Amino acid sequence: MDELEEIKITFFQECDELLGDLESGLLSIDAGATDPELINAVFRAVHSIKGGAGAFGLEALVRYAHVFETLLDNVRGGKTDLRSELVKALLRAADVLADHVAAAKQGGEGDAVSTAAMVEELEAWISGGPVPTAPAEEVNIEPNEDGIVFTPIKLSIPEVDEGPKEQAWTITFQPMDELYSKANEAGLLIREIERLGKIEVELLDDALPTFDSLDPETAHFAWKVRLRTEVPEERIREVFEFVEGHCSTTIVREAPAPTATEPAAGPDIAAIIAAAQAGDAQAAANSAPSEEATAIAPEPPAASLPAAAVPALAESMSSRGAPPPAPEKGNQATIRVDPERIDKLIDLVGELVINQAMLAQRVSGHGFAASSDVGRGLDELEQLTRDIQDSVMAIRAQPVKSVFQRMPRLVREIAGQTGKQVRLVTEGEGTEVDKTVIERISEPITHMLRNAIDHGLETPEERIEAGKPAEGTVRLAALHRGGRIVIEVGDDGKGINRPRVRQLAIDRGLISADAQLTDEEVDNLIFLPGFSTAAKISDISGRGVGMDVVRKSVQGLGGRISISSKPGLGSMFTLSLPLTLAVLDGMVIDVAGQTLVVPLTAIVESLRPTPTEVKKVGAQGGVLAVRDAYVPLVDIGRVLGFQTVDTNPAEGVVLLVDSEVGGRAALVADSIHGQRQVVIKSLESNYQQVPGIAAATILGDGRVALILDVDALVAMRRRELPRADEPFIEAAE
Amino acid sequence: MHQPTNPVANERRELTSFWAGGQEYCVDIMSVREIRGWSAATPLPQSPQYMRGVINLRGAVLPIMDLAERLDLPPTQPSERSVIIVVQVGERLVGLLVDAVSDILSINPDQIQPTPDVGCDQAKAFIRGLITIDDRMVSEIAVERLLPEVEVLAA
Repeated sequence: MDELEEIKITFFQECDELLGDLESGLLSIDAGATDPELINAVFRAVHSIKGGAGAFGLEALVRYAHVFETLLDNVRGGKTDLRSELVKALLRAADVLADHVAAAKQGGEGDAVSTAAMVEELEAWISGGPVPTAPAEEVNIEPNEDGIVFTPIKLSIPEVDEGPKEQAWTITFQPMDELYSKANEAGLLIREIERLGKIEVELLDDALPTFDSLDPETAHFAWKVRLRTEVPEERIREVFEFVEGHCSTTIVREAPAPTATEPAAGPDIAAIIAAAQAGDAQAAANSAPSEEATAIAPEPPAASLPAAAVPALAESMSSRGAPPPAPEKGNQATIRVDPERIDKLIDLVGELVINQAMLAQRVSGHGFAASSDVGRGLDELEQLTRDIQDSVMAIRAQPVKSVFQRMPRLVREIAGQTGKQVRLVTEGEGTEVDKTVIERISEPITHMLRNAIDHGLETPEERIEAGKPAEGTVRLAALHRGGRIVIEVGDDGKGINRPRVRQLAIDRGLISADAQLTDEEVDNLIFLPGFSTAAKISDISGRGVGMDVVRKSVQGLGGRISISSKPGLGSMFTLSLPLTLAVLDGMVIDVAGQTLVVPLTAIVESLRPTPTEVKKVGAQGGVLAVRDAYVPLVDIGRVLGFQTVDTNPAEGVVLLVDSEVGGRAALVADSIHGQRQVVIKSLESNYQQVPGIAAATILGDGRVALILDVDALVAMRRRELPRADEPFIEAAE
Repeated sequence: MHQPTNPVANERRELTSFWAGGQEYCVDIMSVREIRGWSAATPLPQSPQYMRGVINLRGAVLPIMDLAERLDLPPTQPSERSVIIVVQVGERLVGLLVDAVSDILSINPDQIQPTPDVGCDQAKAFIRGLITIDDRMVSEIAVERLLPEVEVLAA
């Protein structure tokens, strides 16, 4: 791969992050946040995408991003009011931008039709909404309660800024160490400024220490540039855009000397100019990340300033107090690491865990007591190994935010297609889960959201009729519970129409007409293959991809999915997944001479039944009396084909498990070895899926042991013993 | 498949030959990752008879296939002398249980003859061609055809 390609890949990675920032920023604004830094961040995201795209010659992307950026800049400069309709338009514009980026990644260009429509809309906003400039006389420059003079920039325009006219600016900037460490340099900036007009540069070397205390890696100089130019202030600011946060900058317009071209400036005008300068200094202080900014801001030339204006300026500057901390993103020291390296590390730690177990087994085989030096040393090693494992897994842990971020757009699109009004509420975006899980939860979540909006929520008319707000709410939440991650997708819609679901299941021969089902069982019928409750198969969730597919993919991850529903109030899907697909806590058991691992999460309890608790049912079936209930017995060895005769449960051990498909079951094994954390090894990577087996692991003795897929195992047994009244036979597959 | 079926003429190929079910077979040496002794495999439930199970290959789970049984010959009786030839098939690794490794053959492509119709589907399916060396006949195995069709059995 050539170097440019590599940089391009990095660019697209950054684009994804920037698009995420863009969308989350807009969403916060939409939700009512008013922090000016938010709109700045949104602007920066689009600007950076445009800049990068320009470097790679992605013309279409640049053209579109430019329009978008212009509008955002207007918003930033207060020229366009940030109304709620505008935010909605900006969100759609962000979607189109994401499409453009995605298209550019594939080497193409974004859809021309949607782009043209969006550009038109954006341009309408750009030209439609400049705030009418107020005549200077009516200007109110009273400081607000914080003593900050408001809206000064707008005021000065009509008097001073009639068309391009040469003006004098004083630009002071002091680079910080970061500026140099990011491979920028002051000379380049000065050269950029020079392009704008005539400049005089003055070096400010006051901060230069004596030679013996000089740190060559530290920035000591500042520069003062006097610029005479016709370009507007924004152009000057643009020069510093890419060093924002790494340089304290002030840009101050000098009061024009009263010349022949200028009418004699009355005191009013002078006050306005002073206010404008105060505003400029203010803006500069805002964007400057540290206190030096205010400190080195030059005194505006006092000569033309009426004395009264000076205190106001001084006040406005000192009232700023400590400037806001630099945007957090710039300070976040992160490194990009090839995921393969981390995977390798995780594999190696897995090996270490296996090796440690192997060592422990051998040591105890040689008769060392746990209290001996060797035994204690091994304990410490085990602890350490676990710590390393946890730390390594933490490297790969990522907040679910990256998945959740994509959902608002999806919701907007589905809402648009279905004509429903939807508000998406997300919770627990910071919940961390292993990258391997992250990559694979996006699809089930997408399906669940589609389902919630398409089937769950009512149309606005129906909602109003039912006495609900027209806008439906879909809640997407992530949380940790019992060593698993739980994802909930809930809606406040109509809930599952149980009689209809039941009738459909009967019509399709999935259950018999006289089957007695609990409400919960009826709800779960929607997970049956090919089940679709929408009377007309809709474009959104009826593409033949039903909830059965979702369930299957969730089960493939070692997860569970269930639904609960209250008629008229809504439904909630609950998805429970392991935090990682790399390790698992398991119970090691013996079955017909084979060692197997049962995931601990599936086990409710283990017990040794007495012969009287075991009851025969029919020729082959059996149940176990557990307290007041009868639980079907499942002989692991026979279901897997390791033996042809059932183990007598009274001579072996029984594991009570909760299976997703058939409720509680009693798995019969020969004996239990104990609990162990095992490293999950895929069978599919070199072979293929094996029924009843979730994965494999390597035990302390170096041999491969298979990890049981409890749900599949129970399902297999059910297939073996079909019963007429069993509604979940199909679902179990 | 990374294995060239039509190598440039006159380009010599090297093959590893071995005994399985009393007959001599070979595979392209480039597909052989390693050769190791037999160690007991963990049986896989609900799998074809010729799949002897899985073993631990330095942390990876390696499926072991009895080549003789795959070719419809009598099953191999694993002994201390039995050998597992680890071959790469696409992205996957699979271990072939054979009786013994015999030779490394260096041949011209024109020494390979297409498999005649031998009336045994299994053999015909898995044998790429026949190689004659002196009075020996060695069959080249098409390793990529050995693994069972990828099917989602648990679905």
